Amino acid sequence: MFKRKLEALKHHNPESLNMNDEKSVRILVLWLEDQKIRHYKIEDRENLRQITNPEWKLHFAKYLEDVGCPLKNAKLVEQLEWLIGYAVKLEYSDNVDKYKRITAENVKQNKSDAPKVISSNPLDKLDFESADFKNGVNKLAELLKITSHPDHLVTLQAISKVVTERLNAECLKNPSSIVPKGVPFPFRETESGFVTNDKVLAEASKILKLLFIQDLRQLQTQINECIVAVQKVTANPKTDTKLGKVGF
Amino acid sequence: MVVRSYNDELKYLEKINSYCWRIKKGFQPNMKVEGVFYVNDALEKLMLEELRNSCRPGMVGGFLPGVKQIANVAALPGIVGRSVGLPDVHSGYGFAIGNMAAFDMSDPEAVVSPGGVGFDINCGVRLLRTNLTAKDVLPIKEQLAQSLFDHIPVGVGSKGIIPMNARDLEEALEMGMDWSLREGYIWAEDKEHCEEYGRMLNADPSKVSLRAKKRGLPQLGTLGAGNHYAEIQIVDEIYDKWAASKMGIEEKGQVCVMIHSGSRGFGHQVATDALVQMEKAMKRDKIEVNDKQLACARINSAEGQDYLKGMAAAANFAWVNRSSMTFLCRQAFAKQFKMSPDDLDMHVIYDVSHNIAKIEEHMVDGKQKTLLVHRKGSTRAFPPHHPLIPVDYQLTGQPVLIGGTMGTCSYVLTGTEEGMKETFGSTCHGAGRALSRAKSRRNLDYTTVLKKLEEQGISIRVASPKLVMEEAPESYKNVTDVVNTCHAAGISKKTVKLVPIAVIKG
Repeated sequence: MFKRKLEALKHHNPESLNMNDEKSVRILVLWLEDQKIRHYKIEDRENLRQITNPEWKLHFAKYLEDVGCPLKNAKLVEQLEWLIGYAVKLEYSDNVDKYKRITAENVKQNKSDAPKVISSNPLDKLDFESADFKNGVNKLAELLKITSHPDHLVTLQAISKVVTERLNAECLKNPSSIVPKGVPFPFRETESGFVTNDKVLAEASKILKLLFIQDLRQLQTQINECIVAVQKVTANPKTDTKLGKVGF
Repeated sequence: MVVRSYNDELKYLEKINSYCWRIKKGFQPNMKVEGVFYVNDALEKLMLEELRNSCRPGMVGGFLPGVKQIANVAALPGIVGRSVGLPDVHSGYGFAIGNMAAFDMSDPEAVVSPGGVGFDINCGVRLLRTNLTAKDVLPIKEQLAQSLFDHIPVGVGSKGIIPMNARDLEEALEMGMDWSLREGYIWAEDKEHCEEYGRMLNADPSKVSLRAKKRGLPQLGTLGAGNHYAEIQIVDEIYDKWAASKMGIEEKGQVCVMIHSGSRGFGHQVATDALVQMEKAMKRDKIEVNDKQLACARINSAEGQDYLKGMAAAANFAWVNRSSMTFLCRQAFAKQFKMSPDDLDMHVIYDVSHNIAKIEEHMVDGKQKTLLVHRKGSTRAFPPHHPLIPVDYQLTGQPVLIGGTMGTCSYVLTGTEEGMKETFGSTCHGAGRALSRAKSRRNLDYTTVLKKLEEQGISIRVASPKLVMEEAPESYKNVTDVVNTCHAAGISKKTVKLVPIAVIKG
């Protein structure tokens, strides 16, 4: 409740107000008086400060009267709204010059002043469907020994993968760091985990499975890296060999 | 209780194939589903011998034989599929140790039973790898064993060396391994290679008695006694080169560290408290069971839910416990080799729980169902492609860590599709007792046990040597028999065999 007004007043937790919780209301009233309205002297605020006092309501009524709230017999919500509004008004009048400039027109103006992105990327202007482009992709694929896919954009994705993974600066400098070593994996001899008579389907499923495992491995490695990063903050292994007691 | 002669009892048992027996309905009263157990010839003899002994007149007291216990579990309300006995099965409190039973969550009558989880909630095994080989370790194995022994508090009544107060414990119970991570005891990758990512989310410390917390607080980060241990092991055999390499095990002679531990007195107290509550619930809900040790409550009852939340807290306790010991292990190695644990590549290969109940999705009669799977002395063994196993093991299947007995060997297996169908993705957990603790104490002498280990070239540090004979290899079934049976039955697959060179025990 009153989130926007409380935000404008720079309340530390504008969403915290709960009208059903009397304590939360009383804390807010006290905050308004302490920080914004400051109608009483500090020592005179004592009655409002006793938020657990059963007589707090009486003191609040007195306070409303003192600050000149016209809503004597209204609901608490209405009284509170008036009080917050009053605080906003005081805040405004303290800094009239600063807030005066902000009119609806001004704000609108500011918004349309937002910088417009002007594309400087020449690739944006390319026609990805032109024969020339398709041709280029296929030629590039041939050069990199990548099988072409009927959809040239898929081929392009494959090319991008090879280039980023195998042809980056670091890899070119030190190929053994990326290119896997060891014997090729005999994927045809593995079991796919289900039975099919279709040889091509079985082979395809095995390859998919291997790719999936590779993805999983990457994910698991990222998780491990994440854990290690957190460990750097939390870890504090303690051992005390003096505590050890062996046997009976 | 039905009294029958041994030969009459045998009529209810049928050998399906060389590794599997069926327990027909009627073997025990009210069986809702059939039972099944996996054995090879050697284990079969032990199993039937136990049954024959119990049929002799005048045999009363003690636990029921394992087969009978499997059948009694098959009579519990809400059970689906079959009551499964794994090759290392032996009698325990209510449920046999090495028993898996799944209950249909959508059946309002279905139950949860603390006896089906065991007293050492989330007892389990963790395996760390290193980039060291036998060559690096053998010359200094005595010092290394001593260093581990100095770092890891062991034995009955041992106390942790990681300072904890009541608030830390409360947080650890809720957060599991996330607590260890937050405090910086373990690595991010450890969490990834752990069942449930080292944290059961439904844990609620407020459902745990003050007594359990008082028992648990000083014990966090301790190994405990009994069959718990920390071992330095070397890779002795690689059966599946590719799966092993996925686990970072590349060659024979590579050094690993195995930690076998649980939730200590904390879990024990949670289970004890729950049993009392459940007896009341059984009377109220009129739940009838064949054996009063099978105390249980409906999953949806207040008692059932409270137990599951408390159990989850105890599971988290066990994970923090194993994580603390992982930290201490890494420190011990780092000091000995003057290298950081990072440079020693001391990663967690996997961490399994073999005393736990979990909510899982399984196929029952062609339909997907949500089940509460009790695994007591049984390890989850999910197949390749299962969404709940770490990405690194998606193609190999979940690693299953089988701890052997002191001085024998341990195994790493992987889960299979077959196991998923036959045993709801469950397999064995270790060797399984052959002699009771009391019998081992009577029949064996601890000095000979220790001497024998020494002759095998195993450095050993024990806090209470007089209890060592309880854990002597002679007291257990042969772990190789157990693992081979699981492999042959197809419910899991052998990957790596490990042998110990140093043992730290309670």
